[in-house]
Order: sequence, then C-alpha cells, then structure tokens
Amino acid sequence: MDSNFISNLLLATVRMAVPLIFIATAELYSERAGMVNIGLEGLAAIGSLVGFLMCYITGSAWIGILCGALAGILVNMIYAFATVTLCANHTVYGMAINIFAPALASFINRIYFGAGSQLNQIKLMDTVNISGLKDIPFIGPLLFNQTPMVYLAFALVIFTSIFFNRTKAGLNYKAVGEHPKAAATLGIPVIRIKYLSCVICGALCGIGGAYLTTCYSNTFTEGNIAGRGFIGLAAVIFGRWSAAGVMLACLFFGFCDALQIRLQVMSIGIPYQFFQMIPYVATIIVLSILGGKKSGPAAKGQPYRPEER
Amino acid sequence: MKKFVVVFFALVMALSFSVVSAKDYQVAMISDTSINDGGWGSATYQAMVDASEEYGWTYKYTDNISQNEYYETIVAYCDMGFDLIYAPGNQYTDAVLQAAEEYPEVNFALLNGAVTTPEKAVNGNVTSLLPDKTEIGWIAGALAGLMTKSNIIAFIGGMELDTTLGKYAGYGEAAKFVAEKEGREVTLLDAVYAGSFSDSGKGIEFAKAMMDQGADVFFGDASAVDSGARQAIDEFNKAAGEVKVYDIAQPGDFLGQNECIIGSQVTDNSSLVGLSMKATMDGTFGGEVIYGTLENGVLSAGKLSDMVPEDIQTKYLAYVDEMKAGTFMK
Repeated sequence: MDSNFISNLLLATVRMAVPLIFIATAELYSERAGMVNIGLEGLAAIGSLVGFLMCYITGSAWIGILCGALAGILVNMIYAFATVTLCANHTVYGMAINIFAPALASFINRIYFGAGSQLNQIKLMDTVNISGLKDIPFIGPLLFNQTPMVYLAFALVIFTSIFFNRTKAGLNYKAVGEHPKAAATLGIPVIRIKYLSCVICGALCGIGGAYLTTCYSNTFTEGNIAGRGFIGLAAVIFGRWSAAGVMLACLFFGFCDALQIRLQVMSIGIPYQFFQMIPYVATIIVLSILGGKKSGPAAKGQPYRPEER
Repeated sequence: MKKFVVVFFALVMALSFSVVSAKDYQVAMISDTSINDGGWGSATYQAMVDASEEYGWTYKYTDNISQNEYYETIVAYCDMGFDLIYAPGNQYTDAVLQAAEEYPEVNFALLNGAVTTPEKAVNGNVTSLLPDKTEIGWIAGALAGLMTKSNIIAFIGGMELDTTLGKYAGYGEAAKFVAEKEGREVTLLDAVYAGSFSDSGKGIEFAKAMMDQGADVFFGDASAVDSGARQAIDEFNKAAGEVKVYDIAQPGDFLGQNECIIGSQVTDNSSLVGLSMKATMDGTFGGEVIYGTLENGVLSAGKLSDMVPEDIQTKYLAYVDEMKAGTFMK
C-alpha cells in the first residue's frame, strides 16, 4: 500500500463525503429544533434535478446550486406546514417527501428534456486552482485542488459547531428541540425557529443534491441520490447530534465506500460482495460501540401545540 | 329516403368493422434504469421506438422502477390491453413469468432472457431475445486488446448478471487473444460491480481507482454508471493533455458522446423487438429463443474514432469479419 494509494483513497473519501456532509448537517439543523425529517432523500433528489437543470440552462454551476437550495426549501415547506402548523406525524410526512420529490424531479426532467434517449451533460464547477500548491505531494490535491463547495462544506461544519455551542441564538435554537414549552416561556419564538429549521434543512439538502450534479457528476440520472439521504440520517445519529461528529461520520461513510471500491479494483481474489458489505458492517460495529446513552434532542419528533398546558 | 338511410347505416357499419379489424397494436417497456442514461436504458428504449415506427405500433414505457415494482408495472400494462410487454433485462424474468401465467393473451419479450425461460412459461407466451453475450464481449475485447498501451484493461458491471459475466468473459478472451498475436500479454482487472445502474458517482470512483491500477481501456455493462466512468476518463485525459485512456461503449453507437469513446459494440435490439412484434401480428409468438449474433446482423461493431490508427482499424475489422464467419480464435 503506497502513498499514492492512500492519497487517492483520501481524495475519494472527501469526494464521497461532501454531499453527505451537506445532507447530514441539514438533518442536524432540523433535529436540533425537534424536527425529525426523514425526507432527505427526496429533498436531495429535487435539489439535484433543479441544480442540474439550471446549470444546463444558464451554464453556471453557482446558479444551479442556488436554485437547488431554493427547490429544497420549497418542497420542505410542505413538510414544515404539515408538521409544525398541523402537528402531523413527522415520519409520515418525511416519507411522503421521499415519494413525492423524486417523482416530481423525474416529471420535470421529462417535461424539459422530453422522452429522448440522449444523454445531457453539463460543465462542472471549476476547482479552486492555487498554482503550485496543488502539486505538493500527498496533501496538495487533497487541500488545494477542490471545488469551492468542498471548502464550504467544511466551513459549514465549523460555523454550525460554533453556532450551537458558542452563541446565544444557537442555545435558544437547541432549547426548542429539547423542551419547546420551556423555551416558549423564555420568549423564544418556537414556531418561527421550527420553520427556520425547515428552511435550513431544505436549503442544505438541496445544495447536497445539487452538488452531485454540478460538482461531481456531469449528468442527472433519476435515482442518482442512491441512498445518500438515508446515510445522512444515520450520520446524525452516528455523530451524536454534534456538527463535528456528523462530519466525522460522513467522512467515515465516505472512507468505507471509497475503500470498498479500491479493494474491489485491487483484484485480490476475494468475492466483491465482501467488499460491498464493508460500509454497512462498519456502521453496525461503530453504532454498537458508540450507540446507546445519548439519544438526541428530547423533544424530537414531537408535535408542538402552544395552546396545550 | 328509406334507401338513403339503409345505405347510410350500411356505410357506418362497414366503416366500424374496418376500424375494429385494423387493430392498433401496443407495446410497453419497463426499465429499472432511465431511458436517457446514455447507455443500456437509452439503447433499449430507442430499439422499441424504432421497431414501433417500423411496424406502426404505439408504445409506452415506465422507467426507473425498483425491483418490487416490476410485476405491478407489467400487470398494469396487461390490464390496459397492451399486446406486447418488452422487458429489457434478465432481472425481470420472475416478474415476466408470473404475469405471463396470469395474462395468457399478452405476449412477453424478455431481452437477455435465459435460454430456458420460454419453456417455463406455461402459456407459451414468453420469448427470450438473446444477443450473444460472448460475441458482445469479443467485439469490445478485440478493440481493447489492440488499443491498450499499458496492457491493462478494465470492465465495470452494474450487477452480477449472467449476461454481464458472459460479456466480461468474452471481453477478456478476445483482448488476450489479439494482444498475444501482437506479441503482448494483456491483463484484465477483475470485474467490479457498482451494485446499481443509476449511481454515476460510483462509475467515477471505479474508473479513477482502475486508472490508478494502470487500466487504459474500459468497457462496461452498467448504464449510468458507465456514463460516470466516461466522465472520470475524460477528466483524466484533459489533465494529461492528451487522450491516453479509452472507453468502448455499448449497446448503441455512442461515438462522439464522450471524447474517450473510441468505438462501440452495437446491438440492434430493434430488429429483435421487431421480430416479436411481427410474430404477435402473425399470431406465431411465443415459446422460442431469438438469438442475436454477428452472423444475423443483430450484433455489430460501431463506428471507430479517428484515435484508432488506420492499421489497427484494418486489423480490428478483419477480426470482426472472423467473428462473423465463426473462425475467430480457431
């Protein structure tokens, strides 16, 4: 195992972890306000399509990312209205988003591109190319040859960590997820924060989906989210509802997937199914070691009715 | 006046009968990948469109369905009175056989179906359309064996299907044979499987990892995953400043879709689907295996890129002729 193998493995880990970081952080913001949104797969799917479509039309990946975020917000408002205003079951509406949003994405895709067999491709977002630095052995490509979205993903983690742990606004936000009624007695606008959490969740999930089609793969294929929404959901539990933990969980998932791909390619005579199991087996092992005591915000998934005593 | 009324009604009845007798035939395709995936889904959908236009059929499709929806989707089309269900893949076999038993009046064309599948259909209404998987592999493998400079070639699969295994085996066999004739020894990396036909990201990662292993010619059987692989190859070539790594597409002629594509293995699925339509109209459908080979023109080599030097083009086309004649590797 040479340094080139390790360097490429780490590069692949980052590539595969970045969309997960956006999606899992989206869920973190949601759950911290008590909103258990399992509709991440659907939100990412609509973000992915809208991001691709807008990039295809305008030629700008940035506009694609922005529109992907807006699409995510728009679709997540269905979930927000149903669960916050109507106090409906979070799981049911999350599942509804998972069914509705990918179908909507397919529908829009067919309306725009028609039922043709042509593969539509876009130009991906350029990498930040700091001349000289990207040629530094080992760390150069990893740190200095990525798209701006990669740096933004890690900046988002730092910001989120500071926001939740070092700011009054963040503590108020977390209070809504822990004990909304107590928070309300302190004058914290519970409903507004719950809606805000849905806006952030929709936006970040949409960005995660749009990242896939504007920075990673230059085509949109229905089904391209490929379970990343559910992995993002697991990463929040895995990361124990902290920004740094979620990021490490996403890097871990990305690493396991990148590793299984490379082990398959190395042709060492072991059946490929064994390698495909690695991400799942590793998750079960780590969850059984780390899981247990901490179970996240106390009021997650519970409807908030201000008129109740 | 009476005469006029009688003639009028007679004309109406005659017209009605003529409308009824000119049956509007309908075919429906199901697919677990997208019809615009730039690979398998695109080519198999286009085959249905072309055959429908040739025989004057109307067509419908449902794509991106998951495994638990295969049967329900087929049955929905059967209930709507479709004459032919076109299922492009071995993975639909169980769903097709179940529906074929319940809908004896509907015909089912299973592309890449097994040789034994038609005899399992109790109503005799299933036909396997079977392009020769080994020949498909040969067509790509001979080009790969002639074009590789690193002498390492790669194959990416979506799922470990019987047809995929056959293509992989044929690909390696032909590449090794032609390279040996040139005095070289070619290594085919183990087949890798994305476990999906739609995750193009997996294609990107597999291609990058295989290029790290030195592979410089790729072939695949994984729909959108192949598109991801081609993207990664194009990016690699762009960074290198020249096209050093190539891809061979299938099952349509995709030359020009990506810079790295040097040729395609083409399967004329439309002629296979067309034969099913003709048999349906003639009332002779069912219980058979229709083979697609180089000899009967269903399989062929697509156009070659200018990146393939002229002498290699000549050698390659000579090998394809041998395959057609049945003398290849003999």
